[in-house]
Amino acid sequence: MTGSNAHTRWWADGAVGVIVLDNPPMNVLSDDNRRGIREALAEFRGAGTRAVVLTGAGDRAFCGGADLKEEEELTTETVGKFLQRGDETFRALREYERPIVAAVNGWAMGGGLVLALWCDVRVGSTRAKLGAVGVKVGLMASNVQLSRLLFEGRARDLLLTGRTVEADEAHRLGLLSSVVAPERLMDEAMAWARDIAIRPPDLVAALKQALNTALDPIAEPAPR
Amino acid sequence: MEIVEAAGINVALVAGRCAGADFARLLEADLRIAGDGATFSAGGVADPVACAVRLTRLLGEAAAKELLLADRTADAANALRLGLVTRVVPGSALGETARDVAERLRALPPLALSAVRDAVRAARALTPGDALALEHEHFRRLIATQDHKAAVAAFFARREPAFTGQ
Repeated sequence: MTGSNAHTRWWADGAVGVIVLDNPPMNVLSDDNRRGIREALAEFRGAGTRAVVLTGAGDRAFCGGADLKEEEELTTETVGKFLQRGDETFRALREYERPIVAAVNGWAMGGGLVLALWCDVRVGSTRAKLGAVGVKVGLMASNVQLSRLLFEGRARDLLLTGRTVEADEAHRLGLLSSVVAPERLMDEAMAWARDIAIRPPDLVAALKQALNTALDPIAEPAPR
Repeated sequence: MEIVEAAGINVALVAGRCAGADFARLLEADLRIAGDGATFSAGGVADPVACAVRLTRLLGEAAAKELLLADRTADAANALRLGLVTRVVPGSALGETARDVAERLRALPPLALSAVRDAVRAARALTPGDALALEHEHFRRLIATQDHKAAVAAFFARREPAFTGQ
């Protein structure tokens, strides 16, 4: 099974699906790759894929985030639609029943960082650079994800400064689960995906669901 | 794995392989310390989904997913990186480290120590607002204790405080 559009390519490799954001050098978010991700996941679901790898084409970026030209043209009338298109794609990754491994091959910034953070496991090359750059451009992005993935102290550091986190630090923080040489990145990501794919699929789906919701507020306070 | 109790605080000491039921017990301890030869795996826990929720609350979502989804074994260095343990010492120094930690815990004011332990444990099941309300409740009680007054007096007198649990 393979598919593609102007900015996305996808195929299945055994039980593992692969999605490549393919509008280098920065692989910025576009209607094509947002739709491509959703279409690929829908096809993988139909094909019984058990884990997915998401990566960017080229060696500069995983995903550079929103297209600033697109963003510049937003008006109060169109911004809602813009946010909704992003959310649909991010939610598709989050709610997809099978784990998704991000292979972070370069920059993941702004909306590109959100994309990486909503994947379940992230592995990076030594070229990976993560930036919660929203604040630097007077916006807000990846607040919700970083506050869930990290503890508050670390999340505040990254969100309030927008500073660049290089691969080694990202590994130490837990934002990347492993860091390897660029030429080994896809092998590493596929190894994680295959390790996940050989486990009982119902258990893995239950784990993803439990892990996604473990930090949700509990409606009923516990007895004191 | 050994769990020792000091001043009402459970300290887990992991020298070797910690998996299955031991891994579940590890997550219930208040403090976790590893020897450098320790390894950690959630494989074989009785209730993997409960373990997933517990780990996420303990370590955050990224670390919990790294540990659970591919069922990888973490060595002591990775356990430290993920926050699963807070200290790694040479395996031969685990006993001495445990005695040192116990001594430090026993030197703390007991009422405040148990209040912090209870509030942190309770926060696992509370909304942020309820957790804050519980903290305030403890604070109002603790500020009236003899031990609090003793600690303030000792600070200004530049001496070590002695706590009575009153």
